[in-house]
Amino acid sequence: MNIPLQIFLNSLDSGGRLALATMGIILIFRTSSAFNFAQGAISMFCAFIAASFLQATGMNVWVSSLVGVLGAVSIGIIVDRVVIKRTTKLHSVHKQIITLGLVMVFLGLAPMLFGSLNRLYPRFAQGSQTILNASITNGAIVNISIGISVMILLFYIIQKTKWGLGVRATASNDTVARMMGIPTTIITMGAWAVAAALGSLSAMMVAPDVQVQFAMMDSIQITALLACVLGGLGTFFGPVLAAYLIAMSRNFIAFYVSSVWADAIVYLLILAILMIAPNGIFGKKIIRKV
Amino acid sequence: MQAINFYKKFRPYSDYIVFGLVLSLAPLMVSIGVLRFAYLTIIAGVVIYAIVALGLNILMGYAGLVSLGTAGFMGVGAYLTAFFTTEIGMGFLPSILLTVAITSIMGIVVGLVSLRVQGFFLAMATLAISEILRQVFIEFSSFTNSFVGRRAGFPSFFALSLDRNQTFILLVAFLVLAMIVTRIITTSYTGRAMSAMSVVSGSEPAAAAMGINILRYKLIAFSIATAFAGLGGALYMHFIRFTIPTDWTFTLSLMFVAVVVIGGVRSVAGTVVGAFVVFGAPDLILANLPVIGDINGMPFVFTGLMIIVVILYYPAGLVYIWQDVKKFMQKRRGAAA
Repeated sequence: MNIPLQIFLNSLDSGGRLALATMGIILIFRTSSAFNFAQGAISMFCAFIAASFLQATGMNVWVSSLVGVLGAVSIGIIVDRVVIKRTTKLHSVHKQIITLGLVMVFLGLAPMLFGSLNRLYPRFAQGSQTILNASITNGAIVNISIGISVMILLFYIIQKTKWGLGVRATASNDTVARMMGIPTTIITMGAWAVAAALGSLSAMMVAPDVQVQFAMMDSIQITALLACVLGGLGTFFGPVLAAYLIAMSRNFIAFYVSSVWADAIVYLLILAILMIAPNGIFGKKIIRKV
Repeated sequence: MQAINFYKKFRPYSDYIVFGLVLSLAPLMVSIGVLRFAYLTIIAGVVIYAIVALGLNILMGYAGLVSLGTAGFMGVGAYLTAFFTTEIGMGFLPSILLTVAITSIMGIVVGLVSLRVQGFFLAMATLAISEILRQVFIEFSSFTNSFVGRRAGFPSFFALSLDRNQTFILLVAFLVLAMIVTRIITTSYTGRAMSAMSVVSGSEPAAAAMGINILRYKLIAFSIATAFAGLGGALYMHFIRFTIPTDWTFTLSLMFVAVVVIGGVRSVAGTVVGAFVVFGAPDLILANLPVIGDINGMPFVFTGLMIIVVILYYPAGLVYIWQDVKKFMQKRRGAAA
């Protein structure tokens, strides 16, 4: 049994889930300058949409996941059009409290629409493989490939396409971008839609392990927020790399040091790194005129 | 006449005391039958959360430092006092004092983090601290009893043991005390020094240049906030008498920030109003409505929508509604004349 490789592969799986959620949060942070605390609640809601579609129609997991992601996109657009559009003039603390309001709304809507029972959700693939003495489930292989290919696709869009340029311009300075003719409202709306879709993808990967339930995304949400600051808020790739790094160190610490205290040790390490690099690993110091 | 002058001289402190006296009538209302029995628990919750939010208001409003770790420190307060009173057999008052002292020392440690890490990064660092504390609540079960839950009794001191109603009045007394202390701190030199170094209302380099000791006031701000949180947690423990680690979540920390923002930053009355809106209104109002009151999850939706609507239309805080109403009335009177 090749234990280090086994842990590495598991970390790619759990890191991918975390990276998807982190990418959603940093995308919204950069375009709307607020942490989206509702990301986890929206993802949970979309996992419920997918799971109830699966139960009602008996379609396969891919179709229901697609329904869940489409639901996420429409929820993202609705949230942006109805609420976030009106908050552009507010301070970022106020915006973040509004996303807290959204958390409560989705946490309340979920039991109303879907009942309070947990639901099962299947993996994307069944069975398992053995690579170099390390066993890995086919579901994990699909998760890893979805995670990595979505990241590559997103970074390609952000770096190489016209829309990506628009996102980067909006992220760097919203007002100037608008003056230059970039449709920042559409960019922001797109960011909310894509972020919700990423979050719901992550939720559908988590769902088979913990079942579809109200608190399923809580720990991912918190770790993703920490990944954002660990990677630095100035770039898109920093938080994503930090997400993989956190998952990796969490799994190795859980195996070699202590499975019970792994989360606490990882949080302590994050704190320690922040004390050394107060703007995150890949962040730059913001120099302010006094 | 003399009484009115005396009242006016000590405003707003006399307002706080009158507010406390009115609030302490609630147990009487329950025994007459005007209020439902369960309402007392809800109002007590509001009182406790208001105490905690007052500490956060000093930190956020005056020192300009955001903390997302409030729930963690409240939990520490709750578990400490449960441990002191049930395991060691301490009295209520020494236990509360010791709890507040320990949590304020923990606040100083957090304050040290804030010297290096700022803004969003600081908020997330406090979140990490709170999550570490929650892991401790879950795993350190000889102290916290983990998910089985830890119990404590109603407070008893000087040979008298309080019942539920008397404990409620004690809570109100603590709230009034917390309001007075907050007001004294914020209007003193300390409060002005904090405002001067705040990112929102002042400037840290400018304050440092004027000779304000940034280190000292950041540490003071954090230790006050965590001391209030520890006090709130301890009072929670002695009123609800039961706690499990899932009581002290990230969402609760966010709710405290919501209380401060909704009520009005830098306002004592506003914080209490905010606590009523966020923690009290959903249960007090919705439970009375037919049909809607029975739907599962409705209070959550109601709270969420209210938070969103209030912040969209009253970003400065609900406490300023009163001033706007006054202005509106004056305008109408002016138009009539």
